[in-house]
Amino acid sequence: MCRPTLVACLALAVSGALFAAGYPEKEIRLIVPFAAGGGTDAVARIVADLAAKDLGQPIVIMNKTGGAGAVGMTEGARSRPDGYTVTMITRELCSLYQVDLSLVQPKDFLPVCLVNEDPAVVLVPKNSPLKSLKDIVEGARARPGSLKFASSAQPNIYLLAMMTELGLSFNQIPYGGAGESIPALLGGHCDFTMVNPGEAIAQIRAGELIPLAVCSDGPYAGLPGVPTMRELGYNVTASTWRGLAVPPRTPREIAEKLESAFKKAVDSPEFQKFMADRTLGVRFIPAAEYMDFMLRDAEALAPIMKIVKAQQGK
Amino acid sequence: MHDFLAHFGAALAGTLSPAILPGLALGVAGGIAIGALPGLTATMGVAVLLPLTFGMPASVGMAVLIGVYVGAIYGGSISAILLKTPGTPAAAATVFDGHALAQQGLAAKALSISTVASFIGGLLSAAVLVTVSPILARMALAISAPERLMLALFGLTVIASISGNSLVKGLIAGIFGLLVSTAGLDYVTSHPRFTYDQLELFNGPPIIPVLVGLFALSEAFAQMEKGAALNATDAYRAFKRQYLSWTEFKGLLPVILKSGLIGTLIGAIPGAGADIAAFVTYGEAKRSSPDREMFGKGALSGIAAPEAGNNGVTGGAMIPLLTLGVPGDAVTAILLGALIIQGLQPGPLLFSEKPEFVHGVFAALVVGNFLMLAFGLLGIKLFCRVVELKKSHVIPMIVMLSVVGSFAMNNSVFDVWVCLVFGVIGYLMQKAEIPSSPIILAIILGPMAEISLRQSLLMYEGSYAFLWTRPIVLAFAAVIALSLWSTWKINRQQRRAAKEAAWEG
Repeated sequence: MCRPTLVACLALAVSGALFAAGYPEKEIRLIVPFAAGGGTDAVARIVADLAAKDLGQPIVIMNKTGGAGAVGMTEGARSRPDGYTVTMITRELCSLYQVDLSLVQPKDFLPVCLVNEDPAVVLVPKNSPLKSLKDIVEGARARPGSLKFASSAQPNIYLLAMMTELGLSFNQIPYGGAGESIPALLGGHCDFTMVNPGEAIAQIRAGELIPLAVCSDGPYAGLPGVPTMRELGYNVTASTWRGLAVPPRTPREIAEKLESAFKKAVDSPEFQKFMADRTLGVRFIPAAEYMDFMLRDAEALAPIMKIVKAQQGK
Repeated sequence: MHDFLAHFGAALAGTLSPAILPGLALGVAGGIAIGALPGLTATMGVAVLLPLTFGMPASVGMAVLIGVYVGAIYGGSISAILLKTPGTPAAAATVFDGHALAQQGLAAKALSISTVASFIGGLLSAAVLVTVSPILARMALAISAPERLMLALFGLTVIASISGNSLVKGLIAGIFGLLVSTAGLDYVTSHPRFTYDQLELFNGPPIIPVLVGLFALSEAFAQMEKGAALNATDAYRAFKRQYLSWTEFKGLLPVILKSGLIGTLIGAIPGAGADIAAFVTYGEAKRSSPDREMFGKGALSGIAAPEAGNNGVTGGAMIPLLTLGVPGDAVTAILLGALIIQGLQPGPLLFSEKPEFVHGVFAALVVGNFLMLAFGLLGIKLFCRVVELKKSHVIPMIVMLSVVGSFAMNNSVFDVWVCLVFGVIGYLMQKAEIPSSPIILAIILGPMAEISLRQSLLMYEGSYAFLWTRPIVLAFAAVIALSLWSTWKINRQQRRAAKEAAWEG
């Protein structure tokens, strides 16, 4: 390497470190790839609020919706790597690119940390003849494709996980979000649905919807007494997760500063209480392990996304 | 009942207290401004103000947001009437007769009708919310995909009512709108349709930029072309200080009440909001009116119906939110999020667990409507000044607002391009005398019709039996047939009259 380039590189590295030392000097923008008022938005706002206290600069939420999160995450990955644009990344980062519905994938980000994981919960309306998960599985085996599933997102990775693992098929009715799939269940137009606990907790507590199983690894604190799929003998897990990330070339010192601030936020009693009150799950994964976690998740999603691709007719 | 009155009275007193009233009033006033500015909508206003309310107690925050909601749905009509540019999609149906009246110098009358109709529609929906919401919520749940399909189809027949002189040209615009509305990911297979690898198109064409482009920008382009006349204050010179008279009001009351109720019902159905209600009530008012020919030329009920209908949605959409915990439209979807962040769980238990809060919402909605009436009536004179402004001052402002509004909805430059493209399309359509409203109608209703049809077909496993086995569907089908028949009849009469005139001439 010729000398001037080396000097330039060194200068850059030094200036990077200097630059990082004063970070953050101004407000930080947090891109949330889903709309204000949704689950991702709620998690983003509380964690940003708490982390901002530690960083000493405000964190401003910018909702950038579209393409099931792809629009916002793409913009986040392509923003200037100076630490002043952070992105809320979600599980869609690991799934959508596999079916050409997103331009970004895990390696287009430098992960900061994971802050939340919500399992899927299987729900039926209160007077349903389906009383247990066994009823659903046996119903689907007896008459494949006849049980009506109210799908709150397409492609529905929760249902597809259950279908591929157990070799079942259902009649998937598409709806525009949990706000429409839950009424479809309450009105008796569909047989069952799978959503995150926080999206249906009001109806569950009122006894309008009955949770049959939760698709988490172990017992889920937000839904005490509800068995996991594994406890019922079905090896199915399905969840969504949310975390924070910056563009790949962001200086390491800055990423570390962000990680420590967000870790403090997650550990704070305010965050724990906020999440528990809204039946949102807390899970922290540090930067060092987050990329591996995402790559493994993308791999786990591969067979499901293959089915989606076949559906797309490509 | 006595209990209820006691609770409601306490909540009303609370809402009128200095802790809540200023916030609510600011919300309503701000909402009217947001609604009136092209490109800024009720949904956006509530979404933008949402974070500001997190620091407030739940009852105050909710009152502010409800104020914005009520104000913005009404505010859209002001620019629809004065500038021929609906401030929100919900006011798109108010343009035809509202602006026609303004051009006759009757802007004050049009605005007073819109204000009074919005008030009565909103208050009626609040009354329904307060009294029979549990029953209505159950009714709304019974509405499934086949019924929603018929509602969307009925809405689409309104294209005939908003086509102006030529049904063929209206259909050209409507079908163009339906084609545009098919862009996006397929609802069942997630196959990208007409997206040209633009992620921004995956959720379908963005409605606000399309609306702003078609109405505001295209109008600005057309005015620029006139060039020389720009220093004039346009045709409104013959401005008359005429308001809604008592006799006119009495004549309009049945239409206002009917439209308010239809709006409330549509609001209570999850997924259908104020824009759909406005078009449906406009179509229904025209269908049932004795002088249909007046529609589009300044019929008073052509303003009263959509304005009562879209404000009727406000109380209606709160019904499933408060009783079931599911949103009735896009704005209440954000309110649901607001409540959850505040730590409340809207749902079947909310009423028994937090009766003070629910009554507070009721009271805020009622008081908010009165504030809207007051601000609206007091503001008419001020609003009318807009028509006295020089076009050379108004047009640059409209262009700027169009671009800013398109960008602001989703912080998206792509949306600005959509706005510009539809501005040009709208301008060319003006040249060809093709009405642009059917495009907006089709873009709003097309996706609802498509997804409901596909849901229905999936539910019935490929059979069309849902068309004749469900009573509500059959009732809707009858109304649609009637509406089409009456359109055909009017059209035939008009053609015959034209022919006779030609013979005599």
